[in-house]
Amino acid sequence: MKFVCMKCESFMSFNNVQTPGEQSLGVTFTCPTCEMQVAMVTNAGETAMVKSLGVQLGGRTAPATPMELTRSSLKETPEIAETEAAPSATAQQALLKAETEKTEQGEGGGCPFSSMVAQMGGMGTGETEKTAPATVSWSEAAESRLEGVPSFMRPMIKMGVESYAQKNGISAITPEVMDASKNDPGDIRWSKGAEARLENIPSFVRPMAKKEIERIAKERGETEITDKMMEESKEKFMGMGY
Amino acid sequence: MKPEKDLKSILENLEYRDDAQVQKQLVDQSIDLKIRMGRIKRKIVVMSGKGGVGKSMTTANLALAFARAGHKVGVLDVDLNGPCIPKMLGVQGRFEITEEGAIPPVGPYGMKIASMEFLLKQEDTPVQWKGPMELSPVWLGLMEMNVIREFLADIIWGELDYLLIDLPPGAAADKPPVIAGFIPELDGAVVVSTPSEVTKAVVKKSIHYARGAGIPMLGLIENMSGAICPECSTTVTLYEGGCTDICAEMDLPLLGKIPFDQKLANACDRGNPLDTEHPISKNFSDIASHLHDFLESKKY
Repeated sequence: MKFVCMKCESFMSFNNVQTPGEQSLGVTFTCPTCEMQVAMVTNAGETAMVKSLGVQLGGRTAPATPMELTRSSLKETPEIAETEAAPSATAQQALLKAETEKTEQGEGGGCPFSSMVAQMGGMGTGETEKTAPATVSWSEAAESRLEGVPSFMRPMIKMGVESYAQKNGISAITPEVMDASKNDPGDIRWSKGAEARLENIPSFVRPMAKKEIERIAKERGETEITDKMMEESKEKFMGMGY
Repeated sequence: MKPEKDLKSILENLEYRDDAQVQKQLVDQSIDLKIRMGRIKRKIVVMSGKGGVGKSMTTANLALAFARAGHKVGVLDVDLNGPCIPKMLGVQGRFEITEEGAIPPVGPYGMKIASMEFLLKQEDTPVQWKGPMELSPVWLGLMEMNVIREFLADIIWGELDYLLIDLPPGAAADKPPVIAGFIPELDGAVVVSTPSEVTKAVVKKSIHYARGAGIPMLGLIENMSGAICPECSTTVTLYEGGCTDICAEMDLPLLGKIPFDQKLANACDRGNPLDTEHPISKNFSDIASHLHDFLESKKY
């Protein structure tokens, strides 16, 4: 299942799964372009139907544990089975590491629990701390702006801004730095040919087109925007001059 | 008011990425199941359209007979809501959850036993699922289907010669096709009936139903075929007639006749298998031997 942002004409990104009530699931999505958020809330019947398939919403990042559906669905289970049901410490570390790596790679859409794991801040792995330099400080205005972001998005955004600051040698994060990091293409490079074609796009739509092409590249897992990709995106920006 | 955008044309320009990979998850589930079942030579279900005819007793004693003949045996109790195989075989315990799968408790002769009983809090705890059971029987069916899948795929059965699967009574008519769907290479079903006309009428329906689901019928066991007097050991008639007629009508071999016997009833209630010299043990040994020969002759 996918949600489409009709305004930006793009697929929304999966954020996380929450449990807003008993026997109810809330699945939240954000448009990667305009950052609009939607939440899909299931009723008890829908929740149970999804669960009874024995599949993981958003995709699996770790193998299923033996008899997990049966053990987790019984109202009353023996204590011994519940204790044994918990993954081993090693398995938990491995899962957490996989989730953190996935989040860092911008693949948060894979698992319903990826954002929750991100919120755990790489607990026990030290992964998050690695990306946040000790010298980076947040101004009050920047902190207040971060507070305005929904809690489930906050760790990811914080990590992204700090990573941008570190990369650019910035020690104090201000709202301006936050804006700049938002437009940072990250590791995506532009080939010379693609850059030249970008220049042909009228200046008033160029930033939007640039952002959109970078988004498409990110979605495809590409690290370089090439002539070919520009050609493929041409139809979308028909009439923009490139 | 702005005109509505055309979703079809929007989607044409978007590249779909399947994050959830539901299809892959389902395929992975079936691969796990196939790998697990691939290590078991013979899979047999024990079924009947009627409740209370002795399916579990038959399963337990047939399993004992195969094990006594030197085969490696596993027993899966698919009667999710009324599990009784553990009690009949005198097995208590829990599954041990490991990274490779769930290790089942072991019964007499090293038989591996799997049952919902091992997942319940205590002996009188009913099987109750978290979920809107009152809202959706469809959901319950799906849930039970996937519980059975987990029993087949997640339990470390290891290398077995025989896996006997005890099905619930006929009311749960979805179970035979579920099993046949999960184990297409199923060797077949052993049907249990009593000589009662009422029972036979219902059993006939279940045979048609199972055949329709592609399950081969291996034969019928006539249970409560008379009763053995505990005082003088003479056999008395419980029902007029027998199951020869239904076997002929349904083109099924009559695998054997098991009389109602107090010692057998006590053995099942106490979880102490009948000794090997008991006539009923011999009956089951003959049935097991016959089934084994038949299945070996079918090797292709």
